[in-house]
Amino acid sequence: MIHSDLIRRLPASMKLAAALAVVLLVTAACGGGSSSGGGDTAGAAGLEGKTVNFVGYGKDNPWGAYFNGVFVPKLESQGVKVVDLTTMDPGTAVTNFNQAISNKPDLIVAALLDTSSTVVPIKKAKQAGIPVLVFDGRPDPSVDADVMQVLSDSEALGTAAAQNLVEGLKAQGRNSGNLIAITGTKSGFAAQDRMKGFDAELAKTPEYKVVDIQDGNWDPTLSGKIATQLFAKYGCSGIQGAYGMADYQALPIVAAAKQAGCPVGGKTGLVVTGSNCFKVGIDAIKAGTLYGTATEDPGTIAEQTADYVIRYFNQQNPPAKELVKEERVTAENVAQFAEQCSKA
Amino acid sequence: MNVMSAPPRSDAPIRRPGRSRSRAELVIDAVLLLAVLAAIVLALTTHRFATVANAKAILTSASLVGIAALGLTLITIGGSAVSLAISPSVAAVGMIFLSAQSFGLVPALALAVLCGILITGVQGAIVGYAAANPVVLTIAASFAITGIATGVSGGSTVSPTGGGYDRLNATPGGVALSVYVLIGLALIVQWTLRRTGFGRSLYLIGENRRAARAAGLPVGRTTAVAWLAAGALFAVTAAFTAAFNTSANVNLGGTLTFDAIAAVLAGGTPIAGGRGSALRTLAGAVLIAAASDILLLRGSSTGVQILVKGVIVLVVVVLVHLRTEGSRA
Repeated sequence: MIHSDLIRRLPASMKLAAALAVVLLVTAACGGGSSSGGGDTAGAAGLEGKTVNFVGYGKDNPWGAYFNGVFVPKLESQGVKVVDLTTMDPGTAVTNFNQAISNKPDLIVAALLDTSSTVVPIKKAKQAGIPVLVFDGRPDPSVDADVMQVLSDSEALGTAAAQNLVEGLKAQGRNSGNLIAITGTKSGFAAQDRMKGFDAELAKTPEYKVVDIQDGNWDPTLSGKIATQLFAKYGCSGIQGAYGMADYQALPIVAAAKQAGCPVGGKTGLVVTGSNCFKVGIDAIKAGTLYGTATEDPGTIAEQTADYVIRYFNQQNPPAKELVKEERVTAENVAQFAEQCSKA
Repeated sequence: MNVMSAPPRSDAPIRRPGRSRSRAELVIDAVLLLAVLAAIVLALTTHRFATVANAKAILTSASLVGIAALGLTLITIGGSAVSLAISPSVAAVGMIFLSAQSFGLVPALALAVLCGILITGVQGAIVGYAAANPVVLTIAASFAITGIATGVSGGSTVSPTGGGYDRLNATPGGVALSVYVLIGLALIVQWTLRRTGFGRSLYLIGENRRAARAAGLPVGRTTAVAWLAAGALFAVTAAFTAAFNTSANVNLGGTLTFDAIAAVLAGGTPIAGGRGSALRTLAGAVLIAAASDILLLRGSSTGVQILVKGVIVLVVVVLVHLRTEGSRA
């Protein structure tokens, strides 16, 4: 009696919300145990009728926009249905990943904006028997064996940056020099792996010394500010080379150096290298203000990721982990990569 | 009494003639003095801080945030709290500025300012005439601006279509052009706030919107004009930022929204409006840039720099609040 009175006194909106919650709970409980839509294998061979839930980078990110523009049409042209769950917000990405699990697709393809927060969704997908393919950046080591991977070779990108700086400084006839590095988000695996490759390569030429490493958080404006302060700290004569982890971080370093009155490029100026090649980076290499960059262009990895999905659905057993071949770009070969690097 | 002839409010707390300072005010002033002395000692004991090159670096770092913060100062003084759509506005206008480079620098700049005025002015008109909540409105506006910019650009980065933009990276007299522009605009905004009817109205509206309306002040129009001017200043920031970065996409604004809010608050302009000045905001922007610079010179990480920025804002906000309360007691 008390309960029925209580229910009667509740406002209509509360009753509606409670009914909705009950429906959702019942649906979740009934659906939780089933895993009929996905599996550890690709099921029947062929792509026709297969469903991919794509928890990739959002279109508001230039790199993501181009990746999506290559990846999605390539799969759809083969008869695969791609459900777009892309976002650039790490919190929304986790929600979308959980949504993808409840959709029970044949495959979840995901980019991990936050490796820590996606550990649980990856484990849930495994429990539900839904295969997951991660692209671009590697997952948390605790779930490394639970997902398939098509990864950018971050260490190779760091190695290429170091090679660019050493090559540029040697070409100027410098037998020693001080370097600065402005990185992507330091807590992320991409920045950590690139610095691993960068440091390992520079260890071969200890006469070139890294005097300062700052976290630029993949932010061009912040990178420019940091560079401005570093040129004031060390002076033009105190820095001979600079590494901006992406071209859009390297170019603000060039602008900051010029504003500080430091010559850039040429026979005696600052040697600057980028990575994640972009059109503006290619233009700067042609203009001589950027010594070099490296690929990690969205088109190449999108092609390889789509190709992986096709091989997976065709039961060609692709390896659990594939690295995308990264290329070093300088004035020597810039023409060869100009088209590839002008997509984002 | 003609409201328009009322003298503008001073930045300093209202002090009754002959009234002695309360103990609370004296304690606050002592804390403030100690903090300033500690900062000076810290700065002077930091290697390479007291150099011309470093002073230029601090001013350059403060300039882009400072120009946007001047625009936000107008919004805040007028009682509209803050705009949370500064970053997306700057990003969208920066993209327009670079994509219009083929027309030349001046037409591209004019187009950018026009678009900045339009984007922010529409929000100001809604806040001014329809009394919309500025925080809620600008959150919605930031999503709308980002969505439209992403849709139009296809999410790609905009590269300059001409080379004229590079003139904004000039360094006349060895100092970045943006620093001269910041100082010039700060003086203009300060003069406008102190010496024009618009400025006086803005202070009064910010102090008490209802009373200003009852007194017959054009609340809607004044608020809308303040936002229009803010939009123009955001556009100038956008042009300099895009020119410095040589490219622009929807992420161009970065953390500018919060950096500009921090500069305004660190300058001592209360979030409730009705008080503050452009010169205070200039000081706030330089203070935050100098603090970041000291920490960087001392080898602190970016995380520590962000933390200290937050602490500065918090301390200034608390001190401003306590001083205001103390002067009213």
